[in-house]
Amino acid sequence: MLKVISLLAAVIFWGLLSLTLPPDIFPGPLETVKALWGEIAGGRVGTDLVMTMLRVVGGLVLALLLGVPVGVLMGLNRRAEAVLDVWVMIGLTVPSLCYAIMAFMWFGLNEGAAIVAIAVTAAPSITINIWEGVKNVDTKLVAMARVFEAPRSTIVRRVLMPQIYPYVMASARFGLGIIWKITVLVELIGRPNGVGFKLFYWYQLADMRQVLAWTLLFTIIMLLIELAILKPIERRIFAWRPEVAV
Amino acid sequence: MKPAIHVASLRKTFTARDGSTRTVLKNLDLDVGAGEFLCILGPSGCGKSTLLNVLAGLDKVYDGTADVSGGRIGYLFQEPRLLPWLTAEGNLDFALSSCRVPTKRWEQLKSRYLAMTGLSDYRNYYPHQISGGMAQRLALVRALCVEPGILLMDEPFSGLDEITARRIRTDLLTIWEETRKTIVFVTHNAYEACFLADRILVMMGGAFEQEMRVPIPRPRSYDDSAVFELSRDVIRAFGDGMGRPTPAGRWPGNVAHGWSATSTATLPPA
Ligand SMILES: Nc1ncnc2c1ncn2[C@@H]1O[C@H](COP(=O)(O)OP(=O)(O)O)[C@@H](O)[C@H]1O
Ligand SMILES: [Mg+2]
Repeated sequence: MLKVISLLAAVIFWGLLSLTLPPDIFPGPLETVKALWGEIAGGRVGTDLVMTMLRVVGGLVLALLLGVPVGVLMGLNRRAEAVLDVWVMIGLTVPSLCYAIMAFMWFGLNEGAAIVAIAVTAAPSITINIWEGVKNVDTKLVAMARVFEAPRSTIVRRVLMPQIYPYVMASARFGLGIIWKITVLVELIGRPNGVGFKLFYWYQLADMRQVLAWTLLFTIIMLLIELAILKPIERRIFAWRPEVAV
Repeated sequence: MKPAIHVASLRKTFTARDGSTRTVLKNLDLDVGAGEFLCILGPSGCGKSTLLNVLAGLDKVYDGTADVSGGRIGYLFQEPRLLPWLTAEGNLDFALSSCRVPTKRWEQLKSRYLAMTGLSDYRNYYPHQISGGMAQRLALVRALCVEPGILLMDEPFSGLDEITARRIRTDLLTIWEETRKTIVFVTHNAYEACFLADRILVMMGGAFEQEMRVPIPRPRSYDDSAVFELSRDVIRAFGDGMGRPTPAGRWPGNVAHGWSATSTATLPPA
């Protein structure tokens, strides 16, 4: 309920604020929605949205494939931790724009380069989450399982993995937050379609209605994914956890 | 008869990361007979958990002999150590499948020990939904239902309120009298030791200081004044309860209670 009220308040605030500037430069919510509806009705959002989604998903999968093993290694092995922790910091520090430029220069202006740039940007923060998770593994539970003669594979699968899942989940969501943003940037500099491309296109034509319409579209889609897919998955996986009264 | 546990000249030294060493178990000798209920009584930090970890095979780096025969080992830790993402029953199943107990026996084992500890109605509860006392009872069920020949218990009831702890101790004795497992029970609670044990070994600073047999006949009652008197003597002897070592001569009722210094007389197992 509070969520709805705060959203309404934000829309009203946006409307009021937009009155201070001419509508061509700062359109209000009504005009933005109208522009967005025009695009949707005209069938001009499908391809771009799908392409952006594919890049986001591809980038996330690759980022997890890179980030999770490194995080696990760092959590398990003190030497690996000592060597890699500097590199994770460096990876976090380099601006995502640099990764995008390097990827496009080295691998060409193609989907692969875009996905690599996206994944490399998100991987370090995923690594940090997993690293933390592995370090927090309750070794007392491992000792318990060993007393019950559990084989190593069972310990990994039934004692260690369930402890790390929450961190994988958190890092996927966290990574996704980064990936939405970097994807749009990557599309802007090196792709012929996608939400980022569209934003830049309309910006060059100085059409603020369209810029805001696409921003709104993108935001709504991301929120829907968060609420309709990620939250329910999380609730399902962690059903065993005590409810925290908020 | 061959002892279920045979320990000879057991030494355990921890090496810190800076290279300094610390000997926590100093030449321990110990025989525990099959079916015996042994309590090891000692202040915290004297090496009780370290000894149990060696016996359980969790710690394989030590000098000397530590042989455990006489069946599978069950280990009840100070904390329940339940897997929080599994229900009570799921936790039992985890242990049963890890120990490769044939599936067709699971139900019988689970219902027997759940009933014995009064947990039959809680199979589908998650660990966070039951009280600490129930969680520890469930851990006891988990240790028992894999049918260990030897049960190692590390201050399993010290975190519980006295009323709950008392009930579980009584349950434990009932189960032991029925199944006659070999039990090594570690505690810093003298009353508990006197109530439970056939034999008490007092441990201090990584060595066994004193040994005694508990002459109280079974079945015992928790409020038996004999338990109380015996424990009072033990506590008095226990370096004023502060874990300070007591000269052997000051031990009470050496004759009456059968106290003996371990160095002079290591009793053979019953
Ligand atoms: N992994 C370890 N590394 C170094 N010292 C340890 C380790 N485990 C236990 N110790 C030390 O060994 C001593 C005995 O510990 P412990 O067996 O846990 O005592 P208790 O169970 O009797 O309270 C303590 O002084 C403790 O600090
Ligand atoms: Mg201990």
